[in-house]
Amino acid sequence: MENNRWILPIVLAVALVFAGVWGYNEYQQKNDYKVMLNNEYQRLFYDMKDNIENVQVSLSKALLSKSREQNVVLLSQIWQQSMEAQEKLSQLPIRHKDLSKTQKFLNQVGDYAFALLQEHLDGKSLSSKQRQSLFQLQDYTAYLSKELTNIHNKLMTGKLNFNAVRRREDKELDKTNEKMLDADLTKFEEKISNNYPELIYDGPFADQVLKVKPRGLGKGKVNANQAKEIASNFIGSKKTRKITSFEEGQNMKAADIQSYTFSIAPENEEKERAIYISVSKTGGKVVWMVNPRPVNNPKISVKEAEKNAKKFLDEKGYKNMEPNYSLKYDGIALFNFAYKEDDVTVYADNIKVKVALDNGEIVGFDAAAYLKSHYDRDIPEPKITEEEAREKVRDGFNIENIRLAMIPLEGIKEVLCYEFKGKYKGADFIIYINALNGEEEKILKVIRNENGTLMI
Amino acid sequence: MRKIVLFTSVFVLIALSIMTFYINNTTIDTSSEKVAQMPQDLTRVLYWGTRGEDVKRVQWTLLKWGYYDGRVDGIYGARTYRAVRRFQRKNGLAVDGVVGPNTAAAMGLSFGQRNTTAARGVNRNDNVYLLARAIYGEARGEPYIGQVAVGAVILNRVQNPKFPNSIASVVYQPGAFTAVSDGQINLSPDDTALRAARDALNGWDPTYGCLYYWNPAKARSPWIWTRKVVLKIGKHWFGI
Repeated sequence: MENNRWILPIVLAVALVFAGVWGYNEYQQKNDYKVMLNNEYQRLFYDMKDNIENVQVSLSKALLSKSREQNVVLLSQIWQQSMEAQEKLSQLPIRHKDLSKTQKFLNQVGDYAFALLQEHLDGKSLSSKQRQSLFQLQDYTAYLSKELTNIHNKLMTGKLNFNAVRRREDKELDKTNEKMLDADLTKFEEKISNNYPELIYDGPFADQVLKVKPRGLGKGKVNANQAKEIASNFIGSKKTRKITSFEEGQNMKAADIQSYTFSIAPENEEKERAIYISVSKTGGKVVWMVNPRPVNNPKISVKEAEKNAKKFLDEKGYKNMEPNYSLKYDGIALFNFAYKEDDVTVYADNIKVKVALDNGEIVGFDAAAYLKSHYDRDIPEPKITEEEAREKVRDGFNIENIRLAMIPLEGIKEVLCYEFKGKYKGADFIIYINALNGEEEKILKVIRNENGTLMI
Repeated sequence: MRKIVLFTSVFVLIALSIMTFYINNTTIDTSSEKVAQMPQDLTRVLYWGTRGEDVKRVQWTLLKWGYYDGRVDGIYGARTYRAVRRFQRKNGLAVDGVVGPNTAAAMGLSFGQRNTTAARGVNRNDNVYLLARAIYGEARGEPYIGQVAVGAVILNRVQNPKFPNSIASVVYQPGAFTAVSDGQINLSPDDTALRAARDALNGWDPTYGCLYYWNPAKARSPWIWTRKVVLKIGKHWFGI
């Protein structure tokens, strides 16, 4: 019995030792991770700083150089280095709100350099306006790298570490951001495009691309009640029972297509889920419709489904639509239809239709791309013949099909091209040859599997 | 009796404390050399929603061993998912319902990349899965349209100069998504999230171009309310 009173203290003492060992171990581990993470951030920071300095140096060289070949090299360096800087910046533990302008700046510097690079390859050289904008870009880059140097000094003296930044105590990048905000690339971008329309820069990040307004909506406003009626007519009014509007924010104006959004509970609500539908405020067009019901026993073929989809589009007033590719998944077939004017396929004006493969019902419709880009185009006459274009294609490319198409390029530009579908060394490709000047504009690689086709 | 209790507890505690020291150093040996020598059965990670011959192989193996009772149809659905989880639990693997290298090895199937030719080597399924995980982590309680909307916001960010330029960089941008910061993104997505991810990748954007969303009940930063508010879907406000 005497021994028994020692049991508890011994157990507790061992437990304490254990807890201590465990705690120390955890602490060590935590420190290791912290150091590792901090090292990683430091590396990113140094790399980014180098990238931005390189951008600045290349910009100044490009401004000095008179040789086009040299400029092509320098512009590609600017493009590559600023994209890298942007990517590294996005991995640093800094709030998005503090770096969004800087990030946009870097993205646009890269994008702009790339657009200029392509102009150089087309035989043009820098105009005085472009030089002026490059000078300005250089100034901002210099400012940015100066700020980065300040941050670097603080990092060196230990006044700032990235763990502090993680705890959101940074002020320095805030300032950089504000400066960027004042001297926004946007204004200056607009200035270029206003004064010299032939110099509008064609890149995916150009502001005129981000601000593009829908062109295919038509005229006239509809109110919420009219929109409801359009929506229930679209899905067939028999099936609808209850229409609920989604709550709108104060800035619906900022949406790319201003719309009313509804969810519609079908009659047998228990069995089916709600159908979602969107009707544009201008023109009263159905922007998209989705019926997310599960499809269990696929019965009908993709061919039949395609017929259904085509019929559906005809009924809804979208004539001249031609199916391009299809995907099959989850018992659904998705078709991409493109608008066809005379013999020219216009890829930008596309509508996607989803067909359930159990009963052939249309379970999805998405005309957002069509409504954004469709307008009465002036499609030019091809200046070169099909034969001439064919000669521009590499020998050994097995051409299976040729047609004319308007294809979208970077930004919002479109060009008329001859489209050559075919095979090269066992793989499927599509080659686009500009029908006006014979340039090779684009190559798409086609990936087929049992479920459909993908183009990249 | 008490002595036995005492000794066992002391022994267990000491063993535990020793283990904590060594557990960090032991790594699971996946013996990659062995995999390279065997004929290759799987060339990709299988999860809910994938289909093909390789799924059939997994289903067949699970059926043989009594984990699976469905049809061997090559479709990775709910039953296959549950069977894989049962198998993983039984075999001490990470229970995530995904057949990756370790699970495949435990099934006696090899896992490796087949030599890719110019015609192959492209697979966009990885992006679907990543997007589905992000959607599941961020919005699994939301209605279907709300899940697609979260996917659409991620894709809109990829297109916008203020954000990084790939799906992975947008998803993993530090501090961008709570589900990424707290690790919920590593949960395996369900069928709905995968379908939402596919719908978003196929272009459906219920947010009309929004770049942000927040839950008014939880949003911590006043800055988020300075966004242009466009639409409310489920519990989230969407804005630009």
